[in-house]
Amino acid sequence: MPTLDLEKIKKEVIDSQLWRSVFRGGVWKDTPRDRAGHIIGNVWLHLHPVKVRPRALKWAYTWGMGGISFALYLLLTLTGVALMFYYRPTIGLAYRDIKDLEFAVTLGMFLRNAHRWAAQAMVVAVIAHMVRVFLTGAYKKPREFNWGIGVLLLTLTLFLSFTGYLLPWDQLAIWAVTVGTNMAGATPVLGNEGPLGALVGMRINNDVRFTLLGGTMVGENTLLRFYVMHCVAVPLVVGILLILHFWRIRKDSFSAAPYEANEAKVDVWPHLVKREYIAAAGTTLFIMIWSILQNAPLEAIANPNVTTNPSKAPWYFVGLQELLVYFDPWIAGVVMPGLIVVGLIAIPYIDTNPKGVGYYAWKERPFANTLFMLGVVMWFALIYIGYALRGPNYAWYWPWESWYMNKPAPPATWSVFGPKGVGAYSMLIGIPLMGAITAAWMLLPKLIQKELDGKKTMGAFLGLLALWAGVGMAMGKMDLVQSGYLLSLVGASFYYGFVLPQRHIRTLDWPRYLVTMVLVVSTMSVLLKMCANLAFNIKYVLTIPAISMNI
Amino acid sequence: MSETNPNPAPEPAKVPAPVPAAAAPAPVAAKPAPKPDMSRGDFLWAGWSMLAAFFAASAAAGARFMFPNVIYEPSQKFNAGAAATYDLGVSTKWLNEQRVWIVRTPSGFYAMWARCTHLGCTPNWWGDQNRFKCPCHGSNYTLDGDVIAGPAPMPLWRAKVELAATGDLIVDKAILENKPGKRENAPFFANYASA
Amino acid sequence: MSYRKAFIVSNALLLAAFFWAFGKDFFAPWRPYQAKYYKMAAESLDKKAADEKDEKKAALFKAEARKMRGSPMEIKQIISGDLGRFDRCVTCHVGMDEYTNPTLKNEFTENPYKSHPKVDSALVKAHPFTKFGCTSCHSGQGLATSVEAAHGWVKHWEKPMLKGVHIQGSCVKCHGDFETLKGAEVAAQGKKLFNKHGCQGCHAINGWGGVVSVELGDIADKPFERIAGYNFKKIRFDGKELPNDHHHTEWNLQNWILAHLINDPASVTPNDPFAHYNAEPIPPSGMPDFTKELTRADADAITAYLSGQTKEEVIPYRYHVAGKAPVESSLTGAAHGKYVYTKYGCQGCHGLDAKQGRRRFNAAGEGQVEYDEKMPEAEQLAQMNLGAEPTLPKLVGTYTHDELVHKLEVGVAATEAKKWKDAGPMPMVYMPAWKGKISKRELNDLAIWLRSIAEKDESGF
Repeated sequence: MPTLDLEKIKKEVIDSQLWRSVFRGGVWKDTPRDRAGHIIGNVWLHLHPVKVRPRALKWAYTWGMGGISFALYLLLTLTGVALMFYYRPTIGLAYRDIKDLEFAVTLGMFLRNAHRWAAQAMVVAVIAHMVRVFLTGAYKKPREFNWGIGVLLLTLTLFLSFTGYLLPWDQLAIWAVTVGTNMAGATPVLGNEGPLGALVGMRINNDVRFTLLGGTMVGENTLLRFYVMHCVAVPLVVGILLILHFWRIRKDSFSAAPYEANEAKVDVWPHLVKREYIAAAGTTLFIMIWSILQNAPLEAIANPNVTTNPSKAPWYFVGLQELLVYFDPWIAGVVMPGLIVVGLIAIPYIDTNPKGVGYYAWKERPFANTLFMLGVVMWFALIYIGYALRGPNYAWYWPWESWYMNKPAPPATWSVFGPKGVGAYSMLIGIPLMGAITAAWMLLPKLIQKELDGKKTMGAFLGLLALWAGVGMAMGKMDLVQSGYLLSLVGASFYYGFVLPQRHIRTLDWPRYLVTMVLVVSTMSVLLKMCANLAFNIKYVLTIPAISMNI
Repeated sequence: MSETNPNPAPEPAKVPAPVPAAAAPAPVAAKPAPKPDMSRGDFLWAGWSMLAAFFAASAAAGARFMFPNVIYEPSQKFNAGAAATYDLGVSTKWLNEQRVWIVRTPSGFYAMWARCTHLGCTPNWWGDQNRFKCPCHGSNYTLDGDVIAGPAPMPLWRAKVELAATGDLIVDKAILENKPGKRENAPFFANYASA
Repeated sequence: MSYRKAFIVSNALLLAAFFWAFGKDFFAPWRPYQAKYYKMAAESLDKKAADEKDEKKAALFKAEARKMRGSPMEIKQIISGDLGRFDRCVTCHVGMDEYTNPTLKNEFTENPYKSHPKVDSALVKAHPFTKFGCTSCHSGQGLATSVEAAHGWVKHWEKPMLKGVHIQGSCVKCHGDFETLKGAEVAAQGKKLFNKHGCQGCHAINGWGGVVSVELGDIADKPFERIAGYNFKKIRFDGKELPNDHHHTEWNLQNWILAHLINDPASVTPNDPFAHYNAEPIPPSGMPDFTKELTRADADAITAYLSGQTKEEVIPYRYHVAGKAPVESSLTGAAHGKYVYTKYGCQGCHGLDAKQGRRRFNAAGEGQVEYDEKMPEAEQLAQMNLGAEPTLPKLVGTYTHDELVHKLEVGVAATEAKKWKDAGPMPMVYMPAWKGKISKRELNDLAIWLRSIAEKDESGF
């Protein structure tokens, strides 16, 4: 009986022409040359450098979120293509095909679940990645452009999630997309319901919402367009941007860490590659187990005549929907998101602080970290309110209150300045007054040359607010809840919007200073409007109905 | 790290130009190279800008492509008949077929979508109480459509209504409005003076 | 943990997760039922073969048994293209699949193994499964392949399987002649009861009937979103709440219609009579309490009849059976008047045979005490519930014939009613104006009959 010498067979196979034509390199030995060879000789891996700084490998530093986002993107592509074999994007068949995937396709339910949960996870992962990059200052020079590409990728991730949401064609899909696309109709100038839109000739059948939907309402055309955007157009754009994103990372010597002369580097193979592998395997495992344990939701088939109550956008947009309570659609749905995107892209250009690149710097970047994290916290707080605290008719329901409870009708609202505002000539007073307050707020922090004492200033301001609240309560015009809102929201606006900028960015040059203040004031306006609405039932601070503009 | 090509392709071998058998004398005196009509910079500029124009035009055409010219939504318009045939007040003539009330006031017409803004039932018009009352959960609306009582969250919707040249009322349910201040004006109100 | 260990562990876990996912998918809920059916069928055939004396017949049975044992496990479906049905019921209910069980009969007695009942009846023969599918009659979620989902008693499936006699609602969908159709007796009875107890006085069906309340011609299409959950919670069947969780729900249309008949509507939809949540008080549902008048069987019959009232389901022309045109009555005089009283549903408010007016919230009624501001709300509620429609024998004697006809023509507005509590809610129901809806001849005869049942003639003549 001839014995099998496995080692010999293995060597012969690996040295054969067939093998070597496919896998160049032959037998790899564990030498520095061959470790480099793994990286250089492989099309998938050669985007990596051969060596990398050890500090860039730490999980506690990178959180692995960039890699996890990419792993999720690949999972989504794979599961998505699989689902495409059984799904037809037409009203008569879409819902039925989803049911078929659930009941009659081998692993159909599992793939659908994996696709859905990976999508949710990816939204969380890209946001976490953005937060990490911010906190480690990895967007600063020379990485500004890559940060901008990242912001675009974030927007496209949300758009992919949004377009995919429509495809099951159930009640959740049609109404979430109706809410979302109605915001497009409120775009200034380009939307038929936005400020100045009607004046420019925008109607329901030729504005930007019309082109998004392919019609005047969410219907057959919308389903097809969203399908094409979701499966082909946007993934292509994301792919191109990802190539650019990875190339830039590579060219900027990988994970940001300041150069230390003579910092010893380690081989990417195996040190980085093994971490990437574990991250990918872990992500896949997480998604698989989640998909086995929990089914993706599917409501009743879409019915354009029947609106669900409440009708909510997907969770990552429900924060914007909550903003709709306080602002008109053109602000909450168009201007605010636009400012957020533009503001994020602008960050590297307005941040001149050289500190904090490549490490977590809390004390060295007080302004940047505080305001960014405030924005992130506000974003998620609004999501929480919109998701969990708003019930039927969008009334406020505490978590312990059943949505079957009847709630009294909301109290009447009033506007401060405008034709329907309080007092005569209120628009003549209102516009200049609002303009003056805004200008003062924007300019004062820089004009006050001496650095204010944070504690004393806040104390004084809060004292004033407490006095206001006290007088109001004594006169019976305010109650404790309203005072609470006043002190917390207006107090916070003053601290983050005035005291912090005064202390930290008054030394910026004027262009950067103004851009920063525009973003800061816009953010604070959300807090202030929330206070105005929740505490005092104010609907509009300034209303100019003639041009459909209400603030 | 730039990648140098480890295996550069060999230079093509220089092939000596074949010498004609009868070595011609020096070639006929060549005409001096013609002077270009435009400079190199201008030429390139012209070329690239034409390409840019091509891209811009393609982008614009692409944007136009995305606006459909025909859509397959069922028409929500209907002819509600001659305006002169309507009495003052609420008419339920088109309630069953089109789910719309035609309301005539001394100054004109408006058409209200008969769908309660609570859960979508069809309210009833109670003339003696001068209000719409929904039988499902008791929402009450004024003649204008504002909510007086009940769980309805917002006023009734008005449809676009216009007076055709023939004197007929044309109602378009695809275009709706319920905000006070907007719903009392065109195109949600058709002026028609009472005799 | 070292990366090497993590490598092995993660790969092992991935493999395990794969098997778990695949196993969960492979061991689908329908498999055990189909497998057991084949086994049971094969065993029964083997037994038949053993008992059979004729060799040839025994061999046939044995061959059949072999075929059963070797049958592939698959999702079976019945496709009815015309009716748009893709029913996978026969995946578990294999006895009803004519390709596996050509005779459509077997001796099993339990679901899902037993064959379809009454396959020899004219009813089933007239509706072959391959042409109609299963869900055209039974409703349910034909696309599903697990038990609860397929039967449709799950959230977000709005057309669950019809229970018991409610299935006759499906007959009403296509059969315009259901009132004389053998097999649709319960639905026919439902329609009779609908007319007998005066439902059409307030509820029109396809335009025929009163407009006081909702049109019921498309009630079977009512989307679930339009049924208020907080009212569903108040429904009680045999004193118990209806379950509503993700795996099993009984919050569906049939139970909702049934609840109108076996619960007091005012207790299910109490609204806001004391203006706790609104600017004005809103009375509870104006529908009378039929629980004493209708038995559960009656209520089921009416529910069956109403379950067939659909406009959404488009029945192809070839599947539709026309009904007979209604016959005009040949009665005259008071007898005709009594017939008219029932025809237009007057007994919906004024009671059967006009004996006693039905409940009318916050109107004046017998047995009420005077309103007192200090009365607690519960007592006020009880008093308001004693309000009633006029009892006609007591009322009509005060009218002359012409006055009565005129009254019927113009109706009585709700504002004209005397309220028990002035600040309380306006009564929901009112007397419609019947001019143009009831013909002059009918009104005349109706007035004749009404005056004939008056207690005493106080018309002054």
